[in-house]
Amino acid sequence: MKPLCAISLALAALSPQARSQQAAAPPMRDAATHEQLAQQWRKAEQENPTRTLAPAKGADPSKVNQPPDLLSQSDILCFAGRATLVPKRAVLHIPPPLAERLKFLPGAQIQSWTDFYAQNRGWISTLEVTRVQAEGNQPLAEDVTKRLNDSANLVVATYQGGPISVLPLKVPPPATPPKTPPVAARPTNNHQP
Amino acid sequence: MKPLLYCLLAVGLLCGTRVAAQTATYTNFIRQVQFPSGLQWDAPVDAMGEQLSALAIDPGGARFELWTVMSAPLTSYLLSSSYVGTYIPVAQVVITSEDGSSAIPRTRADRPFTVDITITGLLAGAADPEPSKSVKFLQHVQSYGVKGTGVSIDRTQARLMSQSSITTNGTQKLTFSLNSVPGEDRSKVRGEQRFSFFSLADYQAPESQLASQFIQIWPVADGAITGITQNQLIRYALPQVTLTLNDLYPTSTTYAQVYKGDAQLGVTGKIVPGSALVINDSVPQDRVLTIRKYDSVFDTDGRWTMELVTVTPFGIDRLCYVSFDLDRTIRMNSAFSTVE
Repeated sequence: MKPLCAISLALAALSPQARSQQAAAPPMRDAATHEQLAQQWRKAEQENPTRTLAPAKGADPSKVNQPPDLLSQSDILCFAGRATLVPKRAVLHIPPPLAERLKFLPGAQIQSWTDFYAQNRGWISTLEVTRVQAEGNQPLAEDVTKRLNDSANLVVATYQGGPISVLPLKVPPPATPPKTPPVAARPTNNHQP
Repeated sequence: MKPLLYCLLAVGLLCGTRVAAQTATYTNFIRQVQFPSGLQWDAPVDAMGEQLSALAIDPGGARFELWTVMSAPLTSYLLSSSYVGTYIPVAQVVITSEDGSSAIPRTRADRPFTVDITITGLLAGAADPEPSKSVKFLQHVQSYGVKGTGVSIDRTQARLMSQSSITTNGTQKLTFSLNSVPGEDRSKVRGEQRFSFFSLADYQAPESQLASQFIQIWPVADGAITGITQNQLIRYALPQVTLTLNDLYPTSTTYAQVYKGDAQLGVTGKIVPGSALVINDSVPQDRVLTIRKYDSVFDTDGRWTMELVTVTPFGIDRLCYVSFDLDRTIRMNSAFSTVE
């Protein structure tokens, strides 16, 4: 047993970590003071490496293009002390008795969609939609819409298992010209695109 | 509609899981927002790893947002976001410091750090769209305020220090010998310094964040020993001493040690019983320790020094010291006489 211990101790001493710790042991010094750092800081500001980069113009984009808050972009499903978030417009059908479950109750624990759905399959159904349907470029099939409206469950649109917003159906431009005669174009000074 | 699939990174992000931090619980979400339609999708992801996004990206691009949601009170925090597009360059920011023990890069107010920036996919053709030929590199600083920890700060209030334009692919290493977080006392600044890449505005998307990383700056610790004064003569029992420790680094070991003689840097002494303090936290800590009955570390009388030492990833720092004379010998002066 003793030789084994000796070997393991020797190996530990030779390990890269142990060597780096031995090598890295720096000398003790007094904690840096404001006076010392102020002097170093002035020099550091002059040597700031971003000074070598070409300056850019314009407003600070981090202030104007912040993503909106997740909660404001989500609907909440809440039941039995647990809750989850899904994108707004992902809930396709809400039976009136389940409407209260779209409110967050204080004390509920937020879960991922996968965990929440696994525990609430009794009252949540999912409808797998295609990408073009989610984009509003193709309507849902009529029978699907009918089943959806008759469902006693709350229905969430999913894409590859993840909740997805379903945008309003885009109305295609009319194929035939309108019967009413077009209004004659009038000259205008407004050249907005 | 080009069926682009971009890599959705979830490495080390604990996505879709709850993580405990003190009493609060957090759940993480990754949301993909398509431009310009605004379509939103929550990707089901594992706690760790990487995967391709199943939702093909439109020519207008998509923004991937990593959020964490606190249950009580219900609050969401944006941890990171990244915009990707057909011809938008890919950028990466990696910050390294001497303290590699934290998920969020961090260092101390007196220590250097480096920022490695990498850009790929920049184009240079005359017919290429402007957002494909250049990216913006931003540097922000923000103070947490006195004793602030950065919790619930409004990052839109950060001060823009510099805004640069980068037009060439490759990696650059930027070395900062000191931070630029605002503060009167340079040893006590606490806050963060952020480095971000933004795309140029396109006809379908505004200037959007490509990558961002920040480093937390924590103050230099200080301490005081009260109960013994410099050059005090101590007779018999050692007095009770109070150790006041401020801004101890989140990963540090601090103790009082004593050794014979006047104060001298680098001496390894005996650790005063009850003075050792191990901190393993995410923010600096303050402590006050009262020490009694520590006579056992003084084996002889004479000149002694007691000093406060803190060991951090940056080395060993002496915070303060006091030297005193110890005389516990009882001398009896008496006269002895005999009478015959």
